Amino acid sequence: MKELLSSTLAGLGQGSIYALLALGFVIIYKSMRVISFAQPALMLAGAVLVSYLVGPFGFILAVILGVVGIALLGLGLERTVIRPMVGKPVFVVAIITLGIDIALRVVINGFIGTDVRQVGDPWGFSRVSFLGVTVQERYIAMFLTTVVVITVLFAFFKYTRLGLATRAASFDQETALAQGISVSTVFAMAWAIAGGLAAIAGTFVATGVGVDQQLWIIALKALPAIILGGLDSLGGAVVGGLTIGVVESLVATYQSDFAPWLGDNFSVVSPYVVMLLVLLVKPYGLFGTREVERV
Amino acid sequence: MATWKHRRTAFTAALFAVALVATACRGGGDTGGGGGEGEVATGTGVTQEACPKTPNKDNGCIYLGVISDLTSGPFAALAVPITDAQKAFWARVNEQGGIQAGDQAFDVDVTSYIKDNKYNPEVHRQVYQEIESEVLGLAQTLGSPTTAAIINDLKQNNVVAAPASWTSAWDFEDVILESGTNYCLESMNAVDYAVDELGAKSVMAVHYPGDYGEDAAGGAKTAAEAQGLDFTAIETGQGPENQAGAIRAVVGQKPDLVIVTTGPTDAAAIVGEAAGRGFEGKVIGTSPTWNPALLKSPAADAFKALYLQSGPWAPFGADTPGHEAMREALGSVEPNDGYTSGWAWSYPMKAALEAAAQNGDLTREGLVEAVTSLKTVDYEGMLPSEAGNYADEPNDAVFRQSVISEVDADAPTGVSLTKDLYIGPSAEGYELSEPCF
Repeated sequence: MKELLSSTLAGLGQGSIYALLALGFVIIYKSMRVISFAQPALMLAGAVLVSYLVGPFGFILAVILGVVGIALLGLGLERTVIRPMVGKPVFVVAIITLGIDIALRVVINGFIGTDVRQVGDPWGFSRVSFLGVTVQERYIAMFLTTVVVITVLFAFFKYTRLGLATRAASFDQETALAQGISVSTVFAMAWAIAGGLAAIAGTFVATGVGVDQQLWIIALKALPAIILGGLDSLGGAVVGGLTIGVVESLVATYQSDFAPWLGDNFSVVSPYVVMLLVLLVKPYGLFGTREVERV
Repeated sequence: MATWKHRRTAFTAALFAVALVATACRGGGDTGGGGGEGEVATGTGVTQEACPKTPNKDNGCIYLGVISDLTSGPFAALAVPITDAQKAFWARVNEQGGIQAGDQAFDVDVTSYIKDNKYNPEVHRQVYQEIESEVLGLAQTLGSPTTAAIINDLKQNNVVAAPASWTSAWDFEDVILESGTNYCLESMNAVDYAVDELGAKSVMAVHYPGDYGEDAAGGAKTAAEAQGLDFTAIETGQGPENQAGAIRAVVGQKPDLVIVTTGPTDAAAIVGEAAGRGFEGKVIGTSPTWNPALLKSPAADAFKALYLQSGPWAPFGADTPGHEAMREALGSVEPNDGYTSGWAWSYPMKAALEAAAQNGDLTREGLVEAVTSLKTVDYEGMLPSEAGNYADEPNDAVFRQSVISEVDADAPTGVSLTKDLYIGPSAEGYELSEPCF
């Protein structure tokens, strides 16, 4: 029972990372109807930037500056690379984001160099025990930070004018434009928020183990999360991310005892199995909008 | 009517995920020929004209290709220093007058045909085809699966290549100039060391899938059986978030020795978390598992307490003429054992070129012939000269010695030699009749 709880808590921590990344994907998707494949590079950039800033500024300030920096990077990418493509088929824009991802990662790799970089987090591999359940502090930090970030984000979308504008633009761009909403501001803001979230996620991924050139691959696990939750559902991204984290952690812990016939490392593919099952049963995800079109 | 829009987008997302990890394309290629004049027979990749950048304008030029993981692949952090060390190695050879062939001399160019394989076998094969007709051989072909993708082409075209990998499969290929022992025998020695020096009674191999991890796990298993130890193998995926199963196995089964064949961040997750959960056994990693920056990570104390490093030769800061020449040629660089490996891997190619030149035949066929009669290589002390035996049968020719280093914060690459080149009883008695995995 204790192992089950500690494994679930570790899964929630890891799932928080997926949730933050998934939110980035969903926010861009909601505003532009494009899946941005630049998220892995933005995540890597965030972790690397924090690893450079942590020396002079300390961890907390480095993370805040890192988030701002990568948000500005996201904004810059939207303004320079994505903006001229507005109106083009979304498939084309998605391919461009793929190109951004690869190009950006090559540049970032130069900043990573040959060594593993450290983000200087205060948790390391320290553990805490509560009622006999032991869990790493960094997983608790990941989960709590994600709860705060998501609360702020949801409040922003619900209560601010810009949040309302975003929701309107995502509902119907042309009507929103006709009502005087600046859709271009909404696009730019979506990329900035996605960048900021990716930076937090990247920093958390790098806690304990550090940043190497392969860190970006983790961001792909946000894809099963958004498909599970629904491509256009912010709540779904959070639920999807946390679910994928917990599934992965529980499979890693128990699969060798209960289903050894699945072979080694089934936990690595378990998020994708969940994704495929959801695609078969609910192709628009648990909370995604079932779109209706008249023909 | 419900549309398939989301379903399509979702499938597209899944497809892109795959595309991101592995992009693939193929290209055709042709085999070219070259002409040679003078006393020495020359062919493809050897010219009487001087190399583009050389101090010796009167020398001819031998072009060697380099196919490495230079930008976005998983081993770029090692591949870049490997390639830089090889540039420095051949620049030194040229400064010393090049390869002497009777009255003639040839410089060696390893900078004109450098290609990035992104650690993708198909890209590797494509870029090989692009440079194949321009080079005599390959000064570097990085990776085992990537080199496996061109091995038949290499054999067919008589192209001799120095690999940047240590799998036991290379002992069975005439055109591959491997250096140092393979992962399989290295892990046998690691297990034997742990039995002799640490009193280990049980061994667990935590390894990546594929020839890197499985070659080492195969060796660990053989040694464990030979020594009568309990053995378990745990295959683990790449990525720190995927190590939970391996960590649980280590902490749950508490083996006396864990042989780790992963990358550095995954090793940090395994060693750091296992130590945090009370694991007190020893961990021996193969060379790609280590990175000096691990000593700055939160797992540093765990590494200092538990970790040893096996390797085919002594680390960067060692005290042999070869190591010293390497450090001098590289100048002020951030120490990295990628440099050490790139440098050591270059000696057999130099010896083979010298032998071919001495035979008066610097054609591809001449180079293959020189390799198949090469029994010793001067590694300037980095390895004994018998390590460069490419003439005898694999079981007789294979070099079985490896080293063990310990974590040493004062050493240039964070590890220093604790046991110099040695052969344990398991590796000594092993019959190498086929690759270990």
